Amino acid sequence: MAEYWGVTVDDIFDTMQERFRPEGAAGVDAVFGYDIAGAGKWKLTVKDGAMKLEKAKDLAGCVASMVSDSETFVGVNMGKVDATSAFTGGKIKVEGDLGAFGKTGKLFRKYAPPKKEMSVKDYLADMFGTVVSRFKADATEGVDYIYGFDLGGKDGGKWTVFIKDQKCRLVTGIDCKTSVTLEFGEAKDYVDMILGKIDANSLLAAGRGAAIGDINIALKWGLYFEKYVDPMATGEPEQELLMLKKTISVNQAFVTGPIMGKFLNALKEKKIITNRCPKCGRMHFPAREVCAECRVRAEEWVEVGPKGQVRYMEYVYYSFPDPLTGESRETPYGMIMVLLDGCKGNDIFMHLIRSDQIDRIQGGRNEKSGTRVRPVWNEHRVGSIFDIKYFEIDE
Amino acid sequence: MGKRAAICAVAQVRNQPEYPHLRFQNMLLECFESIMEQTKVTFDMEKGIRNIITCSDDVFDARTISNNGVTDVVGAHFRGEEKMAQESINGLGYAMACILSGHDDVVLFMGHCKESQSESRLMCTNLAYDPFYCRPLGMDFRSADALQAGEYTEKAGITDEQLAKIVVRARRNGKKNPYARVNDDVDEKTVMSSPMVCDPLRALHCYPVTDWAYAMLIASEERAKEFTKNPVWMAGFGSCMDEYFMGDRDLASNFPLKNAAARAYAKAGVKDPKKDIQLFELSDHAAYQLPLWAEGVGIAGDGKGGAWIDEGGPDTFNVNLSGGHLNGNPLLLGGAARAIECFLQLRGEAGERQVKGVKRALAQAAYGGAGQHQAVLIMES
Amino acid sequence: MAHGKKNRNVGIIGIGQTKHSSHREDVNQPEMMHEAIAAALKDAGLTMKDIDCIVHGNMELFEMIHQPDLWHTLGTGAGGKDCFRITTGGTVGITIGCAADNLVASGMYDIVMAIGFEKLQEGHTTGGITNMADPLWFRNLQTGALTGSKAYDLIYEFGEERAKKVSMTYRIIMDKHAALNSNAHRSFGLDFAQADDLIKNSPKLVGDLKLIEMCSQSDGACAVIFACEKKAKELSKKPVWVRDHITVHREEVFNIFGYDDKYPARQTQRFAAENLYARNGIKKPLEYFDVFEMYDPASWWGVDWLRDFFLLKGDEAVKLVEDREIMIGGKMPVNPSGGVIASNPIGATALLRVAEAALQVRGDAGAHQIPKPVNHALASGFGGTMWTVLMMLEKELNWQEA
Repeated sequence: MAEYWGVTVDDIFDTMQERFRPEGAAGVDAVFGYDIAGAGKWKLTVKDGAMKLEKAKDLAGCVASMVSDSETFVGVNMGKVDATSAFTGGKIKVEGDLGAFGKTGKLFRKYAPPKKEMSVKDYLADMFGTVVSRFKADATEGVDYIYGFDLGGKDGGKWTVFIKDQKCRLVTGIDCKTSVTLEFGEAKDYVDMILGKIDANSLLAAGRGAAIGDINIALKWGLYFEKYVDPMATGEPEQELLMLKKTISVNQAFVTGPIMGKFLNALKEKKIITNRCPKCGRMHFPAREVCAECRVRAEEWVEVGPKGQVRYMEYVYYSFPDPLTGESRETPYGMIMVLLDGCKGNDIFMHLIRSDQIDRIQGGRNEKSGTRVRPVWNEHRVGSIFDIKYFEIDE
Repeated sequence: MGKRAAICAVAQVRNQPEYPHLRFQNMLLECFESIMEQTKVTFDMEKGIRNIITCSDDVFDARTISNNGVTDVVGAHFRGEEKMAQESINGLGYAMACILSGHDDVVLFMGHCKESQSESRLMCTNLAYDPFYCRPLGMDFRSADALQAGEYTEKAGITDEQLAKIVVRARRNGKKNPYARVNDDVDEKTVMSSPMVCDPLRALHCYPVTDWAYAMLIASEERAKEFTKNPVWMAGFGSCMDEYFMGDRDLASNFPLKNAAARAYAKAGVKDPKKDIQLFELSDHAAYQLPLWAEGVGIAGDGKGGAWIDEGGPDTFNVNLSGGHLNGNPLLLGGAARAIECFLQLRGEAGERQVKGVKRALAQAAYGGAGQHQAVLIMES
Repeated sequence: MAHGKKNRNVGIIGIGQTKHSSHREDVNQPEMMHEAIAAALKDAGLTMKDIDCIVHGNMELFEMIHQPDLWHTLGTGAGGKDCFRITTGGTVGITIGCAADNLVASGMYDIVMAIGFEKLQEGHTTGGITNMADPLWFRNLQTGALTGSKAYDLIYEFGEERAKKVSMTYRIIMDKHAALNSNAHRSFGLDFAQADDLIKNSPKLVGDLKLIEMCSQSDGACAVIFACEKKAKELSKKPVWVRDHITVHREEVFNIFGYDDKYPARQTQRFAAENLYARNGIKKPLEYFDVFEMYDPASWWGVDWLRDFFLLKGDEAVKLVEDREIMIGGKMPVNPSGGVIASNPIGATALLRVAEAALQVRGDAGAHQIPKPVNHALASGFGGTMWTVLMMLEKELNWQEA
């Protein structure tokens, strides 16, 4: 007999007696029929808080009968197929008194499959088999992404999941350009990751898994789909665990003080000014109250730049959340350490480089100049670091 | 403890509702420069300050590693720096340990808090509670204090009139303190008609939002004379944590404060605080705490706080002549403010507030809802 | 000199830690801390009654708990006890170790327990670290604790091929060590033969800093019990003595990228090491110490800081790694525990360095115990804007005689 999610139609019927709930059978006095294509027919007699199940040739005399294919029947009993949609979609039919048949819903405890090992192949079938039912349509307004899954090894396979117009569609194979494709050399790693046995970062770090395309889209999967539940972990959980998700914010009013204030205000006038240490001559970016080296106030102001040379650039591939907005930044981007004209040593000014010029930036060293850059100012300036949009190559 | 640790100098900016023109670095810098000027201390690796203790809070500053923002203005570049991430009085307890351990002989202790910066101090202290149960219930330090106030005022028979008296006295004393927050004058009637913010706490029963920064120089007995003629000695320190859930605590019992005080007294050799200590600075975040803490340190009888107020206990025992916390200090820094007042009194530098013959003084501070964590410092001239 | 002479000696008499993992959904914060504390008490044969004082530390904004010692009393057992909360940055774990040492040495407390923890899965670590920057300026720019600058430096100094290889060799050694430590968060079973492949294929984070080379984000806790000499000798068969410690911070910003030899950027690592060794009369640290537990946030830093911490020159540190002398069984085993790249519950991380170094001195490190007697151990912490804390541990109480 065919197995679906590792369970046969017989498994469901064979456990009916032990799953029977007399309290749910109070006042029920009827015979129900089941006609499961490819498996057979059963008659269920319920009377006086007891039940009797028998295989039948025909379902004559039943007050109501359910007609379904084997996969749907198992799926509904396993909670893998939504009963209402199976019914409205015609995959389950009820012949006879529909209202009476509704009473069968209270007659049995939920079917729980016997514990047995699920293979990687079983898991993959189950994980992808439940993708559409785990889809959270409400969370995908305006989302148009294509996820590819390319899982290697002997049990592996390829799948594509489309999200568009708040609908989700699963296709076997990958035949189009995806927004992001998760590639795993061994499908087992993917399964273990989904089951929480290995964390994603570790796999990515070890090169055992990779996100080809936009990794940020990969990270958003969890927003669009309910978490996969391991069917082997049925029964009562050992502990009742909840995860409380909360974003905490307390509004703040940061004041600049006179030094930072003067520095930020100058940016409005497209000027970069700095305060110089009276003892060691060091210049401060941003301007700060004291020279930390000499422990004295630095109150002499000097205008520098605004052009300068890059001494070093952080070439950033990893997507950082902007702590002020929570949004991830687009990658890659370059954070540059600029030695503005008029500065020396480690008096560097940090900012961003125009994103299409990242690959042309050279850092300087000793007498050798790095790439020359100039600030690009915002039209509307408010006295903030982003009055300078970014720097660009001075050419 | 064979040796002693001395506070050699203090500096502070004035307590104010807000410092809209200064960021905390500017406020600290003023204190830093004052200490350098008063003591001529250096940052020499042999003879100078090698370790700095700071006090600030990540949530109030809205900044991870809040001490990172102060390194420049406390002189911590290429020196040690450790942040007391607790009520500031514990920084003095720890500074004492640094000196008595022999590991350091000169320690700079500085702290700051701009309570005005965040939208609400209650939102900040709500974050001190567990995210599962107490936080969603809306617990914060004020609502916890209110529960304690309810229990204590009933136990000790404290009346609304007595609480009003405490507030009026705090503001009157604050007026004599040049570093105290400037508040409106209030009379008892105004206090009693101020809005009930968290029953039985009225708006004027609670300390007002305050910005402040301070600095102190602490040295070993051997080194103190290089920095001052009049060192003030830290003679004993003790602290005590109470349980977390309100239901696990006896809120009117003073359990943690009695423990903290007993530990500090044992170390300082105090037998009878009423006789052996001439001045008390208590961290009254709300008015009811003045008699409650007075009971805790042993200058008012158990459950007799109400009568103690009527009998003039606060003036008899020289309690909170600075104006106390109630007049306005940042929540985090009340203990440093209390210790600074003790320091000034012990040195005879308390101006109009000066009490004659103060040889030993007590500074107390609490943190957490309903004084969950308590600490007591005994200081001597 | 004030530093070297302690009022009284302090010994470590109890060590406990959790398993470090990115999956500790089964416990909340106080429960997780309690695991480490119960382990430390068991290790010391003590109960909470014996503890005079608790020192608590972590990074508040990583979990967004204000003054978390208050809530955590549920798990720390601080109720009724003296309690401090002292923090720095990533260094916080070793800072509370130093604080516990000071508190005991002062005579104010006889037995003090330091407890550090972090549940990094309950917040966003890189976002949390970025919040460290000034809100008016650098916060919009900073990239958490990630930087490719050390890779850039070493590639310039030693050439691309050698530098990348030595960083990956260091990384693989740490992985091999982690495989021997059942508490380690992650061990991939890497082998030296994979080095070239990993150099090519591990995803890049920033510059030439690759994901495989960066420390993990873990949940975990560590507790260490410190006692005065008298109690330590009474209560413990093998107390590990705290000889000295030094903390060195830097200014607020990372102004170290000028790359001009005329203006060298001073490093706290070397400054801390030089000062600590000078006042303890240690001339050749590489010979003096038997093991080093280093706070190595990424393999590149691990390689470079060996040079600073052991006062080496040129490529001496690189050679140590290339020759695998930093492996268990080598001349100077570094991070037999697997180090920070393997497990990084930030508030506990630097205390774990002290704990693991002390276990090595005791000979109780189990599968990752180094095979030679350990008399002198070094532990380091890293945090903030390149801050350093160093602590020296000793098997015998004999250095004062020298």
